[in-house]
Amino acid sequence: MGDYEFHWLIVYQALPQMLNGAFVTLHVAVFSMLLGIAFGVLLALGKMSKYRMPNIIATAWVEIARNTPALFQIYMAYFGLGAFGIHLSPYMAVLCALTFVNSGYLTETFRGGFQAIPRTQYVASWSLGMKKVQSYRYIILPQMFRRVYYPMTNQFIWSILMSSLGILVGMGELSGETQRLQSLSFRTLEFFIVAAIMYYVITKLVLFSADIMSRRLFKGEI
Amino acid sequence: MNFLRSVLVFATIFAFIGISNTATADKLDDVIKAGVLNCGVVLDFPPMGYFDKDNQPAGLDADYCRDLAKQLGVKVKIFNLTWGDRIPSLISGKTDVVIGSTSDTLERAKSVGFTYPYFVFKFQVISKKGSGIKVFDDLKKFKVGAPLGTTYETEYLAYAKKMGWGRSNYTAFKSENDGYLALYQGKIDALISTNANIATKLATKEFKDFEAGPFVPDYDDIVGIIAKRNELAWIQYLNLFLIHQIRDGRFAELYQKHFNAPVPPEMIQSLRDNK
Repeated sequence: MGDYEFHWLIVYQALPQMLNGAFVTLHVAVFSMLLGIAFGVLLALGKMSKYRMPNIIATAWVEIARNTPALFQIYMAYFGLGAFGIHLSPYMAVLCALTFVNSGYLTETFRGGFQAIPRTQYVASWSLGMKKVQSYRYIILPQMFRRVYYPMTNQFIWSILMSSLGILVGMGELSGETQRLQSLSFRTLEFFIVAAIMYYVITKLVLFSADIMSRRLFKGEI
Repeated sequence: MNFLRSVLVFATIFAFIGISNTATADKLDDVIKAGVLNCGVVLDFPPMGYFDKDNQPAGLDADYCRDLAKQLGVKVKIFNLTWGDRIPSLISGKTDVVIGSTSDTLERAKSVGFTYPYFVFKFQVISKKGSGIKVFDDLKKFKVGAPLGTTYETEYLAYAKKMGWGRSNYTAFKSENDGYLALYQGKIDALISTNANIATKLATKEFKDFEAGPFVPDYDDIVGIIAKRNELAWIQYLNLFLIHQIRDGRFAELYQKHFNAPVPPEMIQSLRDNK
């Protein structure tokens, strides 16, 4: 890039718009992650279930979510469903697609977590007279989440970075805003560098707050 | 603190990119010596750039690349770019020149070198027949889309802002084709595009129920060829090439070929006047 002159002022002036985009990115990543965790737990239980139906649904979900590109899934949620007359807004399409892929990956993580918990824990909780729901709520789930904490943060970072694919359907997240702003002035490199830094800071912030939260929840024994 | 330190390291790495400055050889010499012209075209924008039925680059912009290479006496290599790839491809040296219907705004000219204009578009609305969009101000009540990072997007958003329409009715699309797909599926009621592209789309059977609507008010989209800003001799050569395309009648010939109509005399005149 020997003869390139950097102009930073124009990026500075556009910072409010970029921060708006960064907020949308964070927003969609956090929500798709929370929904993904909820679905992931259900699907993991479905996969381990001795009943056929939950098993088939969970297996199909995980297979499709993990073995097709997220880009394709976002496209399907927006244009694919559109072909059948179901019109999601760009935000909803990205949220659904990311939730789908997050829960697909988390299912396998959670399944590993569940299976790592000794059988004796289940039996002990039943012997105390707990119902199935109670034993999961008070005994199994807290231990499972503790075990899968690190893989889960990994998935969170992925979900932040994957949200950049929202540019495809015009969601106006950080990548989309950056693309729009750079096309006005053609200061592509400057805008992309600042966007990269913003992504970095967002993921660091998320990891940082997840760390604080985990200390509270797990009392420091991860 | 760990968090702050890692952010600092990251920022330092990028700060170093700003330094370093070396002189470059003349691009015109480089192209002739290399024997290949790397020419960027947006092949998502018929009839200026598209893939023909044999999957080969076609369109007026692609033909301009071939003409330019012929004049230089070199082979041509055409790169398919998105709107957003145009500048990075020049800066990274992947392309020598981009013939990609680039609107010559003064803001952009601070970053990249423009030739004289080589084409003039009008920005127009395409919508379903009977949608009730008669004048541009009707768009206030409709869901509107445009391709991300194009001048027509900028013009529409500026107009919408001026009129106080807000952004809630607006969707941006990554490519021209995605915009048309969304219009076709009814995700949006109206798409802003160029008159040339709309005319091409209306000729296809998928869009037989659609019609070209009002123009974006008070705007002619005048486009130039772009190259690196500091390659003055190269831009000079490209300017002369454009003059010759008009003088030799090649522009009129290509216009007829790609638009199925004779070139409007006012367009020739305004290109001659470099306006």
